[in-house]
Amino acid sequence: MKDLIFTEIFKLFKQGKTYYALAAIFIIEIIILFSAYSQGQSVLDLLLDNLQQSFHFEGNLLNGNLLSYLILNTLWFHLPLILIVIVSGTLTSEYKDRTLLSVMLQPVSKWKFILCKYIVAILFTLLIVFFLALTTFILSYTFFGSGDLIVYLDNLNFYESSDAFYRITWAFIIGAISMVFFSVVSLTLAIILEEATKTWIAGAFFLIVSNLLLKVNFGNYFLDNWLYFKLNDTWQYLFYFNIPWHQIYMNLALLILYILITMFIGVFIFNKKDISL
Amino acid sequence: MIQYIILFYLSSICLLGAQNIDSNILSIQKRMDTIETFMANVELKVDISFVNIPKKQARIEYVQNKDTKVFSEDFVLIPKNGLDVSLHQLFKNPFITVDRGTEIRQNKTYKVANIIPSSKKADFSIATVLIDINLNRIIEYEISTKKDGIYIVKMNYDESASILPSNIEVVFEIERIRIPLKYMGKDAHIDKKTYKSETPKTGTIFLNFKYTKITYNTF
Repeated sequence: MKDLIFTEIFKLFKQGKTYYALAAIFIIEIIILFSAYSQGQSVLDLLLDNLQQSFHFEGNLLNGNLLSYLILNTLWFHLPLILIVIVSGTLTSEYKDRTLLSVMLQPVSKWKFILCKYIVAILFTLLIVFFLALTTFILSYTFFGSGDLIVYLDNLNFYESSDAFYRITWAFIIGAISMVFFSVVSLTLAIILEEATKTWIAGAFFLIVSNLLLKVNFGNYFLDNWLYFKLNDTWQYLFYFNIPWHQIYMNLALLILYILITMFIGVFIFNKKDISL
Repeated sequence: MIQYIILFYLSSICLLGAQNIDSNILSIQKRMDTIETFMANVELKVDISFVNIPKKQARIEYVQNKDTKVFSEDFVLIPKNGLDVSLHQLFKNPFITVDRGTEIRQNKTYKVANIIPSSKKADFSIATVLIDINLNRIIEYEISTKKDGIYIVKMNYDESASILPSNIEVVFEIERIRIPLKYMGKDAHIDKKTYKSETPKTGTIFLNFKYTKITYNTF
């Protein structure tokens, strides 16, 4: 099992797509930093328009924490999309190149093989989120410095610099669990669909539907609180003035349950599947 | 008859022109003018229904006839009105006063008067002040500014001899945010009634002053 995991890690870092993903994340960060630099102040002015009538402002809100928060928002779409492409590619490329058949001809258990794929996909996802967080903090604080964070979430919330860093760090950690779910789903889709393009389309569709359904109010407690789509924004809870930790723990427990169920379904389907020429 | 009317008209004009300024207000103005400079550490607490902001610390420096300067390492919301503990804004332009009688607050009687600037340069149109005539200081004023709406400033003092207040409560009008800049997510639900409401809300800012230095004119 350990050897299989190492083999999968080796394959992952041997393929060019992995590095394209890292480069894509870095480029997205640069674009966000650049656009925030050029338009950030006007957005802040718009947000603080009402307060400007009654207050003068002392201090700079266009700082590293705001930039980190903006980059954090790539967890909504950009990052899961990149992960869907890369993670599903680890299996679809094996179908395409028929290396899967070669592996299966070896004395390797099918369920162990695919479980290792899942484990490596999870490790890779955590690594990517860590890379995103690290580069975000380095770039944001280097070019914009620290300062108070302003977030519009129900209300206009201001957080002191140290508090903002704490919240953003935890948001990355909790967001990583959401990203793991998308990775696990994309690998499961790859098991079912086998072909890369179909898997990417299905994965992107799943991501879009997830984001759309997040905003739909079903008027049912179970659907509004327990359905996966409604858990996708758990990392945003860190930006409520009073952090609802109890709700966060609950959502994370459900997310992990969804991840395990999806993995189980994937392993089961792959185990039942014939690998043909 | 016409002569009497003209005489009455002219005497009215003369009387208006020579309208007296309330002696208590003049006395307070004179007292406040003795403050040349002061420095203070201020704790600011903002209470606005749609704004969450922790308590902030700032340092303020006042020099007579100059704008008060505020320094802070954090981001702070500084009220446009209310930091003026020297009441410079009220007295900096020529004004007339109108006696409005008395008002009882917490079993204490205070004199009420209007301050009406006679210069167009003034940034407010009228202010109503509550005067503690025994301690020779203003404890509250409501000011109708030309640009920034109406403010009510309540001042509390540490000691009966204090000229400058130790804490201030500024109540002001503020409109609800009309452009909900969203980063997507949980705030998808918007209370349309609240956002469409044209009614201005009120906010309050509490300022606690710790004076580190006060210098007085020696004239």
